[in-house]
Amino acid sequence: MSDRELEVTDALLLGFADGRLTDNERVAVERYLASHPDKAAELAHWQRQNEALQALFGPVASEPVPARLDPHLIARGRAANSNFRWPQMAAAAVVLIAIGSSIGWFGRDVLLPSETASDILIESAITAHALFVKEKRHAVEVAATEKDHLLSWLSNRIARPIDSPDLASEGFALVGGRLLPESLFSNAGPAAQLMYENAAAERVTVYITAALPDGAAAYEFTTLNALDAFYWANDAITCTVVGDLPEAEMQTVARKVYQQLTRRPDANYRAL
Amino acid sequence: MQFLDEISGSVPALRRYARALTRNADRADDLVQDCLERAIRKQRLWAPTGPLQAWLFKILLNVYRNDFRQQRRRGDHQSIDTLLVEPAVPAPQHGRIALGEMSRAIDALPADQREALLLVVLEGVSYEDAAGILGIPAGTLMSRLSRARAALRTMTGVSEEPRLRSVK
Repeated sequence: MSDRELEVTDALLLGFADGRLTDNERVAVERYLASHPDKAAELAHWQRQNEALQALFGPVASEPVPARLDPHLIARGRAANSNFRWPQMAAAAVVLIAIGSSIGWFGRDVLLPSETASDILIESAITAHALFVKEKRHAVEVAATEKDHLLSWLSNRIARPIDSPDLASEGFALVGGRLLPESLFSNAGPAAQLMYENAAAERVTVYITAALPDGAAAYEFTTLNALDAFYWANDAITCTVVGDLPEAEMQTVARKVYQQLTRRPDANYRAL
Repeated sequence: MQFLDEISGSVPALRRYARALTRNADRADDLVQDCLERAIRKQRLWAPTGPLQAWLFKILLNVYRNDFRQQRRRGDHQSIDTLLVEPAVPAPQHGRIALGEMSRAIDALPADQREALLLVVLEGVSYEDAAGILGIPAGTLMSRLSRARAALRTMTGVSEEPRLRSVK
């Protein structure tokens, strides 16, 4: 009897289990299975595999989708980033720097309502800078060659979409980045550190966290352990740029980073 | 915006596939978010005539494989919670495969077989599209599916209905 049956290949049996056959093929397989109980048992098990997989994971597709997976919101975030109007930003940055440096220390209580948390972040950024800029082979966790992966990974972990500032005009190229643990008592979550290097092998790091709980705007320039740190905070992020460049160069780099990281969908700045 | 609407329509399937690949809800959603960001960034690379969902699956798999390699390099481990908690599922009925057992069996499959089987069985992707998404010839896909099915049967076969066998 079996000699006269159509050749039933593995592909046909798989197609049967997955419901991918034409009527004719299905009839041929059914006829074959009637005289091959071992194969029939195997196919029955395959179909139970299908049921088990559907039972395990099928319901995931009916779960409510979290907002962070809404393509419209993701695209809007990107559009806001690319619509960045930097001449206005530059003007705002200049104003901020002017205010920051003219108010002086007596303005600190006004400018830094979360002073302690900001100071902790600045210290953490400086400590991390000092630790990792000395590294040759292990300076970063993920290198700039995997930039897309690096940025989406860090964005996910600090829960803020970040892009790496372009510092090519200052002669600095991205080396890569790493994830750092939350600074104790800062309540800012984990930090992303991006490292840049110029042709003279001088390094600058950018230390970014999600906003502090109060989301207040702050701006500070600190020198600690012979390292300069430019720090600012807004309702989206905190960022500290650390380096030991000549002051003018350091300010230019910090301003570039500030301009590129502090974007608003409406391109308006919240005044200090 | 039609592009984004179409992507939206695929998000539930992407989440389901990512969840089955990782068996970790948070990690799965991280992968999907990463996938969507890449898709939106690379929007102009997508030819509107091709199947969008297949393209998205392809991106998701790339993200998943990169992530997997990174994790191994970093020695990143799953949290104890993830390892200990089996999906909340009813006890198996007679003749069914115990779902906890199936979940572990899927995890034990070689990655290439798991990726292929879940695409076809869970996502209902055609053999042709699945081969395209995985970047392998149709014959290779079929042999991966066969091997995956055989392995799952070995790993979960104990709860099979008893079958009469003639004894010599």
